[in-house]
Amino acid sequence: MLTFIARRLLFLPVVLIGVTLLIFVAMSLLSPYQLVSTYIKSPEELKNQSLDDLVRKYGLDQPVHVRYINWVKNLLKGDLGYSVSANMHVAEAIAKRFPATLELALFAIIPVVLGGIWLGTISAKHYNKPLDHFSRVFAIVGWSLPDFVFGLIVLMIFYGVFGWFPPGRLSMWADSIVLTGDFVRYTGMNTVDALLNKRLDIFWDAVRHLIAPVITLSYLWWAYLLRITRSSMLEVMNKDYVRTARAKGLTERVVMNRHVRRNALIPVATVSGSMVLGLLGGVVIVETVFDYKGIGLLTATGAQQLDYTLVLGTTLFYGLLLVLVNLVVDVLYAIIDPRVRLE
Amino acid sequence: MKKLLRNPLSMAGLIILLVFILVAVFAPWIAPVPDMYANNPNHDPYRVPRYGWGNTPQAPSKEHPMGLTHGKYDIFYGIVWGTRTAFKVGLIVTGVSCLVGIVIGSTSAYIGGKFDEVVMRFVDVFMSFPFLIAAIVITTILGRGLDKVIFALVLFRWTGYARLIRGNVLQVKQEEYVMAAKAGGVSHAKILIRHILPNTIFPVLIQASMNMGSIVVTASTLSFLGLGAPEGYADWGQMISFARNWILGTPDNPLAYWYTVVWPGLAIVLFVLSWNLIGDAFRDIMDPRIQG
Repeated sequence: MLTFIARRLLFLPVVLIGVTLLIFVAMSLLSPYQLVSTYIKSPEELKNQSLDDLVRKYGLDQPVHVRYINWVKNLLKGDLGYSVSANMHVAEAIAKRFPATLELALFAIIPVVLGGIWLGTISAKHYNKPLDHFSRVFAIVGWSLPDFVFGLIVLMIFYGVFGWFPPGRLSMWADSIVLTGDFVRYTGMNTVDALLNKRLDIFWDAVRHLIAPVITLSYLWWAYLLRITRSSMLEVMNKDYVRTARAKGLTERVVMNRHVRRNALIPVATVSGSMVLGLLGGVVIVETVFDYKGIGLLTATGAQQLDYTLVLGTTLFYGLLLVLVNLVVDVLYAIIDPRVRLE
Repeated sequence: MKKLLRNPLSMAGLIILLVFILVAVFAPWIAPVPDMYANNPNHDPYRVPRYGWGNTPQAPSKEHPMGLTHGKYDIFYGIVWGTRTAFKVGLIVTGVSCLVGIVIGSTSAYIGGKFDEVVMRFVDVFMSFPFLIAAIVITTILGRGLDKVIFALVLFRWTGYARLIRGNVLQVKQEEYVMAAKAGGVSHAKILIRHILPNTIFPVLIQASMNMGSIVVTASTLSFLGLGAPEGYADWGQMISFARNWILGTPDNPLAYWYTVVWPGLAIVLFVLSWNLIGDAFRDIMDPRIQG
């Protein structure tokens, strides 16, 4: 097990160099004058200095390899430049917005995973029966619904018509309390902080704002998980050991839950890495639709205002996040499926 | 193919797709360019006509069967010509990225060794970014426009096909008839094109056709975020981004502007659905594991 993790960790720098190189190549499509903004540390620097001075100061007239090394050095110091659209340092903006996205992802992941697997199991159990056809149509429609269309419809119905789940992260009254000094920010996640501050009213308000984005994210991912669980369950159901289990006279429930589903979940675990990948993309849309101020909305507004400093910075952050998540997924996968370690 | 026609779901998919193809082909007759542009030889038919000033949408009427959206753009016109845009983006992105993927993936697998290793790590890096976010970065740097969207999508799409065909070629490479061709002194290029590709390309092409829907979704997502087609260009994603401003309706009628989101939304969903219905049936036919 340990050697497996060690081997994975050895591979980490290679991926990191690749990810940073790719972003760096994208950056070098910009002219040195445009790039200055990704290097300066505060708007003050623009005073009393011409652009040419700044280009020279940050070595943007240097050859490519020198620029790359300098840039990575800055990155290691956590310096991602100054964002015009967010009006603060990119690193600062990410640190400020990330808890919101993490909160959304944490709230979404449980209904997504449990619901998707449950639907897939039902579909496989009733293979080729009306319930299976119904859930298949549900999955295909869900898979075909772009997240921004579905999100807007959810917003129109649940906020426009019923007024239940408003957009944003908190209502005005709750927001004004959160911003006062009495309310201690522990994590930046509204629900957690509200509980730690013993403010149940704020907790409920935060949950109310989370429901609509979570519904949107869940429905789309259920479709995906349903499909994978279903086909993987169907595959396992044809295996000999399942026939043996049935022949032993085990009840259908035990056969399904113990023998079939456990093994069928292995491919589901494999896709969890790519699910996180898609979830990050989905978060950009969902946050934009529901005006939920997380890192996805930060990227989207940055992109709309052509704030490449911010977009490159957040993308780098996504890249690093994904590398880490994939590492965790791989390790978990090796725990679930011992065959992997032997490869 | 017969199985495809017998399955009611894939049949529905084929019919919807056919309707879209007809709409795209006959767009100039279904939604003719209005007379006010008739004398302007430089007028681009993809530009959606606007009827009047101000931004407030206008309910469906006889002249405008689906109403006018934000900025008084005609929804019906936009949807009909947007069908062409959708096919254009889908076909170009799928075609080019498929071609690039097949060329790079198959040569990499055929040559093998260190070269293959390097190429595949390269592919890994490309694939480690969320597709949408990568596309956002490229369009931010290059600027707005349909051509840039297409470029960005191709840039991050070919890797999937490359990986797929590489796996297939690696298998076929060991087959005896390839060995025989090699022993017979056939050139490498000819072996690859005449002997290996015909036996490996099919699953890639199916995969590619199944991805048409998701490519159109990503392209319209970029337009929705304001990073895609220029304003006023017939594009479904952009029409939905117009609808965003009016989604909550008026205080006494929250659904007052339903038509701004429902029609373009329906167009995207049906388009993607038709590809997915066909693809899903294909997958069941091709996947022998399920046929127990």
